[in-house]
Amino acid sequence: MAAIKLKGDTSGEVTIQAPSVAGTNTLELQATSGTLATTAQASIGMKNRIINGNMAINQRGSGALENGFLVDRFSIGSSQASKGSATVQTADVPTKFTSALKYTSSTAYSVLATDYFFVTQKIEGNNIADLNWGTADAQTITLSFWVKSSLTGTFGGALRNSAFNYNYPYTYTISSADTWEKKSVTITGATSGTWLTTNGTGIDVWFSLGMGTTYSDTAGAWTTTAGLGSATGATSVVGTSGATWLVTGVQLEAGTTATPFENLQYGQQLALCQRYFEPLINDSLNYNGGQLVGSSFNTTRNFINISMKEIKRATPTIVGSGVGGNLFQNGSPKAVTALYVTYPNFYSVGLDLTASVTQGAAFHYDPSATTVITADAEL
Amino acid sequence: MYKKLKDITGTKEANVIQRASDNAFIPKDEDNTDYQEYLEWVAEGNAPEEAE
Repeated sequence: MAAIKLKGDTSGEVTIQAPSVAGTNTLELQATSGTLATTAQASIGMKNRIINGNMAINQRGSGALENGFLVDRFSIGSSQASKGSATVQTADVPTKFTSALKYTSSTAYSVLATDYFFVTQKIEGNNIADLNWGTADAQTITLSFWVKSSLTGTFGGALRNSAFNYNYPYTYTISSADTWEKKSVTITGATSGTWLTTNGTGIDVWFSLGMGTTYSDTAGAWTTTAGLGSATGATSVVGTSGATWLVTGVQLEAGTTATPFENLQYGQQLALCQRYFEPLINDSLNYNGGQLVGSSFNTTRNFINISMKEIKRATPTIVGSGVGGNLFQNGSPKAVTALYVTYPNFYSVGLDLTASVTQGAAFHYDPSATTVITADAEL
Repeated sequence: MYKKLKDITGTKEANVIQRASDNAFIPKDEDNTDYQEYLEWVAEGNAPEEAE
């Protein structure tokens, strides 16, 4: 070792405190070069407030999207149709990641003042309560992510509260085209504004793909200008036909340093995602295919209770498509012709299936191969 | 467009409404974002179809 250097503000002190017991203690650093960082607000547990930042969970199995949820917890928004779409892909990812969200522009579109194209994740208020935003004790946060684009330049995004009336436009620079780069943005905590610490939206994190002037403002400062989604002058991905923009490894953490991405076990991350969305029946994926039992309330309406795997953020919306198959009573199939939903709550949902049956008898439900029923409590 | 529904007994209003665009069943929970959109739609002067 050549030297030990101490750098920084000379008015302070660096103390290395040894325990008051006999013995030798060694602080051993790894052989590889790097930075060992610590902060007063140690990130122990729930370091990353973003869920599914590595884009690994994709319960919906969505194809290309212009609006709506693609991978779990990340949604796409577009004010104009047919300007581009997002997909999840595994072929082009940075080291240590397996999935990324990819947006591809389909036209060279000049955004209008009120246009918006973005990727977002809304962080639940319960998961940012300790940041103390909206108070004098607001903690600084750092947003980091891996990004790659066919374009270079200054790109933008914004952090917003649930009412969209307290926003922070930010920028980051992509210097090499078609190259994965890790970016970080450190943002002083918001000491004003209303920031929910409930099951509503706490912080709404936006990545802009093209933003009109109505929703753009000066980067690097909190503002009460309503509805901001990006920084003035940021690169518009939808402005170039065929342009691509990819992102993964999204992390929002307390402190001023972007630490390595917090990898969770797959099952942990799946459970976190299922607080917001889960499939109840998907015969092709073998979710509750042919295993549900219930009883017939009368000669046409038949009740099944499904307990959800995770308690939901709110009572979920239930969506069914391709609903069909048969109820079996005494081995006899009864065709299912319609679905209704009854008594949903945070924990379970009652499915009310229409079929001509024997009142009061038990049955098991064998859905058709196209039957998909989901519970959605997204923000 | 939205539609009110009867519960499984057919005698009283269900605690969900149905969205016409995708037949989604939306619970009457003010923390549900779909129900929030429904309330905004009603506040704009619209009215759901009555239950059959």
